[in-house]
Amino acid sequence: MADLLDRLEVSRLVHRFGFGPKPGEFKKLLNMGLPAARTQILTASKSDAAADAVVAPKLTDLGFFPTQKTQAAADFNLARQLQINSLYTWWLDRMAVADQALLERMTWFWHGHWATSYDKVQYAITMKIQNDTLRKYALGNFADMSRAMVQDPALLYWLDAGQNSKQSPNENLARELMELFTLGVGNYTESDIREIARGLTGWQVYRSGGTTQFNPLKHDSTPITFLGHTGTYDALGISDVLVTESACQQFIPARMWFRFLSAENPVPSDLSDSFVGRDINQLVQTLGRHSQMRAVGNSQVKSPVEWFISACRALNITPSKLQNVGYAISALTNMGQLPFNPPNVGGWPADEAWLSASSAQFRLSFAQYLVKQGDLSTLAGDTSAQAIADWLGVAEFSYRTKSAFSAAGSDPARLAILAICSPEYVVNA
Amino acid sequence: MDTLTRRKFLQLTGAGAIAGVAASLSIEEIAQAALSNPLPIGTPIVVVVTLYGGNDGLNTVVPYQDSIYQASRPGISLDASKVIPLQDGLALNGSMTGFKSLWDQKKLAIVRGVGYPQPDHSHFSSMAIWQSASPQEHISSGWIGRWLDSQPHDPMRAIGLGSVLPPLLAGAHQVGSVLPLGGLVIPSGTLAQQCAQLSKASGADTPLVALAAQSMADLFKLSGDVGPVLKKPAPVPDVLPTQAGGNFGGDSSLAQQLDVVAKLIAVNAPTRVWAVSLGGFDTHADEIQGQTKLLGTVSDSITRFLGQMQKVGRSRDVTVLVYSEFGRRVKANASMGTDHGTAGPVFIAGGRTQGGFYGDQPSLKTLNNGDLMVTTDFRDVYGAILEDLLNTDKSRVIDGWKSKLPVFAKA
Repeated sequence: MADLLDRLEVSRLVHRFGFGPKPGEFKKLLNMGLPAARTQILTASKSDAAADAVVAPKLTDLGFFPTQKTQAAADFNLARQLQINSLYTWWLDRMAVADQALLERMTWFWHGHWATSYDKVQYAITMKIQNDTLRKYALGNFADMSRAMVQDPALLYWLDAGQNSKQSPNENLARELMELFTLGVGNYTESDIREIARGLTGWQVYRSGGTTQFNPLKHDSTPITFLGHTGTYDALGISDVLVTESACQQFIPARMWFRFLSAENPVPSDLSDSFVGRDINQLVQTLGRHSQMRAVGNSQVKSPVEWFISACRALNITPSKLQNVGYAISALTNMGQLPFNPPNVGGWPADEAWLSASSAQFRLSFAQYLVKQGDLSTLAGDTSAQAIADWLGVAEFSYRTKSAFSAAGSDPARLAILAICSPEYVVNA
Repeated sequence: MDTLTRRKFLQLTGAGAIAGVAASLSIEEIAQAALSNPLPIGTPIVVVVTLYGGNDGLNTVVPYQDSIYQASRPGISLDASKVIPLQDGLALNGSMTGFKSLWDQKKLAIVRGVGYPQPDHSHFSSMAIWQSASPQEHISSGWIGRWLDSQPHDPMRAIGLGSVLPPLLAGAHQVGSVLPLGGLVIPSGTLAQQCAQLSKASGADTPLVALAAQSMADLFKLSGDVGPVLKKPAPVPDVLPTQAGGNFGGDSSLAQQLDVVAKLIAVNAPTRVWAVSLGGFDTHADEIQGQTKLLGTVSDSITRFLGQMQKVGRSRDVTVLVYSEFGRRVKANASMGTDHGTAGPVFIAGGRTQGGFYGDQPSLKTLNNGDLMVTTDFRDVYGAILEDLLNTDKSRVIDGWKSKLPVFAKA
């Protein structure tokens, strides 16, 4: 019988650095002991047979929007809808089936960090290109990731950098690049923004196909001065300077601390030591093995996608194979979190924001829908609270929740609904 | 940034870290409070409308006759044919016909050049400054929240519409409540009983686990059989605002939010401050169409709301305040839009508002690094609301602040 703190740590590992356990996985991790469990969760596989078996969507360049209210426009909108739906289910499937979910989990984190929305970009292929980039660098070097992102067609379009000329530069990308992506607020001046905006000019985005082109005629190649540097800089040069700043070494670890460990406890001052080489994987290893992973009081609320995917994994559900995928997509929309559609460039909120009465309602309806289609065989022989906790990777259910289980008797479907809507599952203790 | 919603501010301005947790009210609770403790007629009510994203003031209250304005914004300046002239060479955006009618009735005050010293161009920092009313030091409580701190506890006193608490309603000791839009559906039968069990507090709960249980409990507080105020039709104003200009069709969430506020004011809810919002003002690109539509929504829905207030006998009680975290740059950018700027206009409408212009129009000749100079401190606006409407010493709520705009008539 594993000790409660061990259960707490493994529960956090499997929910925060993955998307929750598949049936039997939690007990297996407990049985192998903490050092092996940490290594298991925190080591991305070179290839993931289950995730790689998810067939990538066939996305094409759909061209310009046709004139409204024509047959061509109707066909076009249908094609666009089919493409984005296939992109949604492709990624949700990868998250739900991956044997080793760290890579998808990190890609999900970076999607919230470099938050870009289909709502404005409007072409699935362009969003997929960004998603591939985020996955490619998810555990790589942040300097490489930042270089790739300042040339990413979806991000450039999203932040108005695709129609940016030296005559009147647009500051949107320049500001968010420093404030939200690399340095954090307060680590640059308004003058830095205006100068960098000049250096970022010259990009043109063809968003229907997800390509970019650099037009030297539109680029401001006169010297700029920012953060104590003066010279001629393009987007890559600017990215390199920003990533080298000491503020970047503090900022990225702080963002990851907030999302993976704790929104309530302050970032330990030595965490940034792990990011000295801008190696994301090294930072993940430090976070995942941090002593605060065992400390009581670092609860985190599962966001709607995290909650949905962890339920799918427990119930052996592949999202694209649900009877009505549209229902799942609209349920996530109602709950306020559909992948590829963050509310704004700051990404999604955390914790308390997901705990309103209306989110409780949507969660309850969605849970009933999912459980009907889920595989409950794990509970066939044993419907005790302990068995449910082991199945779902919950450290411990409260007396309150155990009483609700007792009232439900031994009906596995009802128990499953109550368990995945229980406070101890919605919130990862 | 495309559309900027309130949620982001919660996260980045630290409202989520406020010690207290906002109660999520049910309509039933508010209706009961209205019955047991109705707000007496003659009590001032404030409706705060936050425009998220940074509204472009120069295309809202337009210096259309100024050649510098026209020259600075090729393609996105508004000429005489696209505006509604007021006076002093200024005009409203052509979509704001409702506001023009309020102006003609002397019910609309336009405060010009509003901002604060050393303007911050970050959405998050600047909105935090406006909502905390503290430009110099970062504090996590909001100005209405600190007013709540000065009042006896009552969860009905200040209510925000939506599912998350706007930072301006979070005090150091008390927080306002939130009211989700739309109805909630609860399960029935044995599942309902078991869920009710799940929603109970447990001694071992961490604060977030307790909140998860509470959110389920809140859901169950709603009941279909107690006269749900929201199922009643909203009060209908006698004079409907003209639909020309800004009405591009379709419901906007601002109109829905104000409809809920109108219904609850109509049943005498004991609420003194309401907070509603509209996002999408971050017009870095293709500004004209987007902003015109949004301003039409603001003008139409507020004008309609004040008409509803007249119908229910609250027209002298209800004052609407409209603000955004900053104005935008004088010069257009290359994307037919404008970047983050500084000063912008604030609107105050209805109630005891004495219509007209307040504050000086910022010069287009003398700019600070391409931005308008601030001529009026927003704390003078808050000062008037606190002292003349909420009957509270402004210096207690806004650390030592002593001045206010003479915008309200004596009660």
